[in-house]
Amino acid sequence: MKKCFAFLLVVVLSVVLLAGGTPKKGGTFIIAHWGDPISFNPDAKVDDAGSGIYGCIFSKLITLDADYNVIPDLAESWEVSEDGLTYTFHLRKGVKWHDGYPFTSADVAWTLNQIRTHKEAPAWKNLVDVENIETPDEYTVVIKLSRPYAPFLGFLAWYGTWIMPQHLYDITENGSPVDWLSNPHNQNPVGTGPFKFVEWVKGDHVTVEKNPDYFLGEPYVDKIVFKILPDENTALQAFLNGEVDYDGNVSNAQISILKRIPGVVVKMKPAPSRYYIAFNIGGRESPFHDKKVRFAVAYALNRKEIFDKAIKYGEVAEGFYTPAIPWAYNPNAKMPEYNPQLAEKLLDEAGYPRQADGYRFEAVLVYFQGQEWRDMATVIKEQLDKVGIKVKLEEYEIAAYIEKVLKAKDFDITELDGFQGPDPDNLKLRVGSDGDINVMGYSNEEVDTLLQKAGELSDIKERAEYYFKVQEILSQDLPMYVIGEVASRNVHKDYVKGLPYELTGVVGYNNYAKVWLDK
Amino acid sequence: MNHFGRFLARRIVAAVILIFMVMTLNFFVIHLAPGDPATIMTGIEQPSQEVVQALKAKYGLDQPIFVQYIKYISNLFRGDLGYSYVYDQSSWSLIRERIFPTLILTITGSVLAFIIGVYLAIFVSFLKAKFGDTVVSVISYILYATPSFWLGLIMILIFSSKLSWFPTSGMFNLRETYTGFAKIADFIHHLTLPLLTLMLIQMPVFYRVTRASILQNFKEDYVTTLTAVGISRERLFRKYIVKNAIIPPLTIFGITLGFAITGSALIEIVFAWPGMGRLMLDAIFRRDYQLILAIYFLMAIFISIAMILTDIVTAIVDPRISLT
Repeated sequence: MKKCFAFLLVVVLSVVLLAGGTPKKGGTFIIAHWGDPISFNPDAKVDDAGSGIYGCIFSKLITLDADYNVIPDLAESWEVSEDGLTYTFHLRKGVKWHDGYPFTSADVAWTLNQIRTHKEAPAWKNLVDVENIETPDEYTVVIKLSRPYAPFLGFLAWYGTWIMPQHLYDITENGSPVDWLSNPHNQNPVGTGPFKFVEWVKGDHVTVEKNPDYFLGEPYVDKIVFKILPDENTALQAFLNGEVDYDGNVSNAQISILKRIPGVVVKMKPAPSRYYIAFNIGGRESPFHDKKVRFAVAYALNRKEIFDKAIKYGEVAEGFYTPAIPWAYNPNAKMPEYNPQLAEKLLDEAGYPRQADGYRFEAVLVYFQGQEWRDMATVIKEQLDKVGIKVKLEEYEIAAYIEKVLKAKDFDITELDGFQGPDPDNLKLRVGSDGDINVMGYSNEEVDTLLQKAGELSDIKERAEYYFKVQEILSQDLPMYVIGEVASRNVHKDYVKGLPYELTGVVGYNNYAKVWLDK
Repeated sequence: MNHFGRFLARRIVAAVILIFMVMTLNFFVIHLAPGDPATIMTGIEQPSQEVVQALKAKYGLDQPIFVQYIKYISNLFRGDLGYSYVYDQSSWSLIRERIFPTLILTITGSVLAFIIGVYLAIFVSFLKAKFGDTVVSVISYILYATPSFWLGLIMILIFSSKLSWFPTSGMFNLRETYTGFAKIADFIHHLTLPLLTLMLIQMPVFYRVTRASILQNFKEDYVTTLTAVGISRERLFRKYIVKNAIIPPLTIFGITLGFAITGSALIEIVFAWPGMGRLMLDAIFRRDYQLILAIYFLMAIFISIAMILTDIVTAIVDPRISLT
């Protein structure tokens, strides 16, 4: 008991210290948000705009904090069996849905089963190894897997796994079950999160008010308004003019302006996402099927220059996995260093000598709309030109890009980024032979085996060894060339305290329960 | 049926046929664009083919395109504008919420642009003010070439950020909970900058067309004759020239109103004005076929009505144009 009290005291004190002073109650916290959610069914579809708001209204079984650690949410503790097949979650007692209905293990089982049976659900694939879900009592959930899968907890805490109210969704109309996509509560959500839904004026704002019964304690601010500001310049002006307190739609170009403004906090944190170029290895005929040509490109590129001119914020990348998840990052598997003479030599060896016009061959660099992508492509074109590779730039809007690059593999080089957490198992998606985002068409049996084995181990040190080996192989095969590490950005007025990025280990990455306004 | 009734019936039938043809063309053109809703819905991060196939099956996107077309047209005849794949709602329910903000902005903006543009042209021409004509013409040329997006941002920088006269964006002050007259005043306060931007973008067209039309009229024989018989300049202007010169801008006004539903999309984005234009752009980017088609359908109806009304008004203003 004493230990428990001491622990609570430490947590409370750290929250107070980290958040900078004694929290004040009241006020309206306004966030500039870049887009409307597509609905408030948080598990049904990929919805990046919605996911920024769901954390206020809903809770998960377990969640990720801003440093990508798995932390408790509706489950206060959990155990994993020796064989790695059984996960037992112990739920918090006394939690209520926003409509006053008691939350129980049945809600968890119902939600996860819905995700498992709806292929359009973004987390569907992460739950394919779930064999069954049992609820021995109202506060215990037991999930059994068909095979040991260590990344399971990370994925359960990540995306599209918000617990939904069974009593409002498991309903029938004229004798037929109501599809969860057309349930009226998708427009009027009921959750267990720190804030209750008030209104959604489409295209304008979403308002939530504090839930006094929230299980982590009553939130400090009375209301949060997500003001939909699709244009980043307008969002910046609204932020500077005091119409919003937190700018959630900041571009790289605005960071340097914001850093100079008194009263504005700009906090950058390493994020498990990286800018890279992918070579066409397994798709249509391309010079990049030849490893020598890929290495030649890597030697010809000066990624510091590309980073400084196009990306500007974050870090220049050195390795083949994100350093934001340090235990799986191999610091010895590095990108080739800039050496244009070696690039020229390799290109000659690969059978691409300079022609009469000075060029060796032409390559198509495909990218999608966005300033940093355009800037990156321009610098890459200029650098490759120097070693005799003529680059033709092709820019597409995102739908056409998906069609051309992901489906038709009709490119030589492309630019990408994307979330590489919460677990290195995600590498399967990018470099596994049947990975969904393996745009390169890269296939290496050894890599596949290592990734498969790493996912089945529970010991983090053992897993790390496998991932280190994968990165070594990648540094020899070079299916991609990584340029920069993305930094997540938190831009707010200095009177806003207790934001999720300051409270790792306490609240989820988009949970504003501890935010307070010091004014 | 009288003369006017026959005219109206003929125009309505023609409009219905035209709308049907436009929608058929739209349907196939939209489906020809690269990318499909299912792939976009799964995104770059989760493009699993199993998920894409499941989504296609769910929304009937795996059916042959002709089957989809028949279904779309038969739904349309039943008054069903279609189902948004992205939002899982009827297209009409999504449009309904956005139509008021757009109409209030675009109709007010177009009417003001018309009145001010035409008035300025008449005023400058009547005064024969060479200097005034040059100044207004130069300004109108500049505004005509100005992108609405850019002008909107400049308006925000001047009137919101520098002078603090108007809010940056949105329809209401979200920190306050006004009701009654205060709420209306807050709405007008928020509406002013987007309205002003739209008006400045549209006004040059009305100014230039009216001006050109007046100058053209001055060259007509009837003006020479009337001047020769000693009619006063004011009477000549008011009774003859203005009446004749107003026809071309009136026609343009009709077209402008027709495009009002979606014509202000970029201005809506800059000022975060929650209208139809933004909904349309979003639907296009997400290839939300049924929602795009529903918006185009309403646009086609709106344009047809506007064109018929323009014909009627034109005939009333100028009796030489018969309703045939």
